[in-house]
Amino acid sequence: MKRRSFLILGSLIGLSSTIKAKSPDSFGKSFKEVEATIRAVQEHMFPSGTELPSAREMNVTKFLFETISDRTYDKDIRAFVIEGAKELQVREKGRFASMSPREKEKALRRYEESSYGQNWLSRILTLTMEGMFGDPVYGSNVKEYGWKALHAFGGQPRPKNRYIEL
Amino acid sequence: MNETVFDVVIVGSGASGGAVAYTLCNAGYKVAVLEKGRLINREEFSKDEIAYARRDIVTPSLFDEYHTIEEKVDGQWIATPTYESGWSFWNGNIVGGSSNFMSGMLHRMHPDDFRLKSKYGAIDGANVADWPISYEDLEPYYAKAEEIIGISGHFEAHPFEPPRSRKNFTQPPTKENMVVKLLDKSCQSLGVKSLVTPRAVLSRDKGDRNACYYSNFCGSYGCSSGAKGSAREALLKPALATGNLTLMSNSYVKKLHAGKKDEVEYAIVIDAITGKEKKVRGRFFVVAAQAHESARLLLNSANRHHPDGLANSSGTLGKNLIFSAGGSGQGELHKDALKEIKFEELMQTGLFVNRSILDWYFIDHWWDGKFKGGLVEFMFEHQNIISRARKNNEEEGKLVWGKALGEKLVKRFTLQKSIRFEIFNDWLPNDNCFVSLDPTYKDKYGMPVGKLRVEGHPHDLKVGNYISKKCVKILEEMGAKNIDASVSAAPPQNLVAGGCRFGTDPSISVLNAECRAHDVKNLYVADASFMPTGGSVPYTWTIYANAFRVADHILKAL
Ligand SMILES: Cc1cc2nc3c(=O)[nH]c(=O)nc-3n(C[C@H](O)[C@H](O)[C@H](O)COP(=O)(O)OP(=O)(O)OC[C@H]3O[C@@H](n4cnc5c(N)ncnc54)[C@H](O)[C@@H]3O)c2cc1C
Ligand code: SF4
Repeated sequence: MKRRSFLILGSLIGLSSTIKAKSPDSFGKSFKEVEATIRAVQEHMFPSGTELPSAREMNVTKFLFETISDRTYDKDIRAFVIEGAKELQVREKGRFASMSPREKEKALRRYEESSYGQNWLSRILTLTMEGMFGDPVYGSNVKEYGWKALHAFGGQPRPKNRYIEL
Repeated sequence: MNETVFDVVIVGSGASGGAVAYTLCNAGYKVAVLEKGRLINREEFSKDEIAYARRDIVTPSLFDEYHTIEEKVDGQWIATPTYESGWSFWNGNIVGGSSNFMSGMLHRMHPDDFRLKSKYGAIDGANVADWPISYEDLEPYYAKAEEIIGISGHFEAHPFEPPRSRKNFTQPPTKENMVVKLLDKSCQSLGVKSLVTPRAVLSRDKGDRNACYYSNFCGSYGCSSGAKGSAREALLKPALATGNLTLMSNSYVKKLHAGKKDEVEYAIVIDAITGKEKKVRGRFFVVAAQAHESARLLLNSANRHHPDGLANSSGTLGKNLIFSAGGSGQGELHKDALKEIKFEELMQTGLFVNRSILDWYFIDHWWDGKFKGGLVEFMFEHQNIISRARKNNEEEGKLVWGKALGEKLVKRFTLQKSIRFEIFNDWLPNDNCFVSLDPTYKDKYGMPVGKLRVEGHPHDLKVGNYISKKCVKILEEMGAKNIDASVSAAPPQNLVAGGCRFGTDPSISVLNAECRAHDVKNLYVADASFMPTGGSVPYTWTIYANAFRVADHILKAL
């Protein structure tokens, strides 16, 4: 399966992989436009009151932004994260972030019916877990709450910097 | 200005390049090792899952360097660049190569693996060939590698265990999780013999390398104690200490230049940081870039003397690439159904499972028939936290999130532990598994990338499935739940060999029995490329051993 077509096909509104950020600034700008939507999706997936820490207390949106902006992140998937959020905004007529939890659940399950939507949701879930269960040096997994919830801890030695910057 | 002429120039600093450098530097020769990746020292490694296991940092970005993979679609071979598929064929591209990241389960090949064709006859559609050397020729080097790399283990007699010149391992086995009690007992009640896995991990300090501290994150991670027998720790550091090694990291070798028909004069090297090109001259050249990259480098080194690629008068360069066939399976040991051992013992982190099974290495059964089988290795599921958390989070085709996800994950991490088996059997060499140069795609240095066609032989699946059924029985006997096994035709990227076969007939092989190119008198290939067949074990002990053997031949030639 070709990844590019896999990422693009199935988008209802026909967005294409054209938002490849030329500079960090322009990527930051595109991210700003979808930040509230992504944050709302993450908070819906990891609400408070479950056995896991909540998205809100774990800075997962900031983590997501930082990790996909990093040069080590696949540039096609970076664009897909933004596009998929735009697609959700369009589908839900810009209302997603302000919906009730029940409405959000319905909207996401509707989105999930398309394989494009399912891929995107799975990607957001993965990126959120990377923050929550990755080393706290990346700014999420605050006070190791993610690890504590699972009784599983990263090995020693722990990283001093992100992405093996020596 | 006089340019330095090294006695030997080695391309690639991994398992094979390291063993050659070690031998030659200790013998007093001036050696240059050219490595395209950077140096990461012992003190700099960490257990950062995001960096080591989820991003391309110790391997090239696939947008810079990649392969194209040919698969058959509707009867046609279609090549897809790996930056499209995300299916990386890089295994570790820093000083020490993939050996930094191996799990270190090492096995010797069996004497019959060296004469598979004579022993089992030809198989339709497979290019099986006997080796030009025997187990006896390689045994002293297996022993040498065991000592120098520091392979720990415990010898127990088994009809399919290759003979050893040294009675037992100097390094006793690494510590084991109590699960082995359950595993051994389950095997026993099925009449199966479980053996201690030899491991390239020190159980005791060795020189300046410290014993394993059971970090729980071994495979895919660099080792912070020096216990893992990587080329960097076990070979390159001692080689550097001789003062004879010039280790050039960030040095991508673009081509070898054979100015004369039968002699390489220099390597053309690009500085991976500045982009500047230079020549590195030597009397002898050793290619050790990991099987498919070695063949690619020789193909990319074509010139007027060697129009089809360096050392390719036979036309077989890149052909008969092999991986390791087999499959894997997994089952969950649940707290509420655990036999023999305490749950806390099972949950102890870091200790190894350390068990392998040789019972099905050769099959000779009144009903099943007579054929070559394979090896089985038992281990815990990789302990990576993010990847374990991500697994199986779908129910009825829908992603699980919210409260249900929390419950699922906590249960998975605290009430059970997964144990798995991996099967290794021969990947039969065949006409649809080879590396060539892609006519269209080039890497960031402007060199054609390797195009890999990676089809396996149907016989491999038959063998894998046969063994898999036996392993599933062991998991069942252990009381494992949700057992899932799969034998697949997909190649494991990290276990690769072939492409520059060695043999006595220059019209059908690239290298002679010493692994010197038939066509070029000062060119050797030291990695797994030489292997006509791979045996039914992971390759690295054989890679280390053969590279030590090749180094001895180079010493004689120097
Ligand atoms: C996660 C993992 C687990 C493994 N576990 C096991 C195991 O349990 N048992 C086992 O037997 N094996 C295992 N292996 C395989 C083992 O690591 C390899 O078989 C072994 O390292 C191969 O040695 P090599 O010298 O051929 O290549 P490598 O060790 O990969 O070294 C090749 C080096 O050449 C460099 N290079 C390539 N092209 C160029 C160029 N053009 N210019 C300059 N440099 C170049 C590369 O960057 C690399 O550093 C594992 C591998 C991985 C990745
Ligand atoms: S300390 Fe032991 S377990 Fe950890 S990486 Fe080193 S050899 Fe592997």
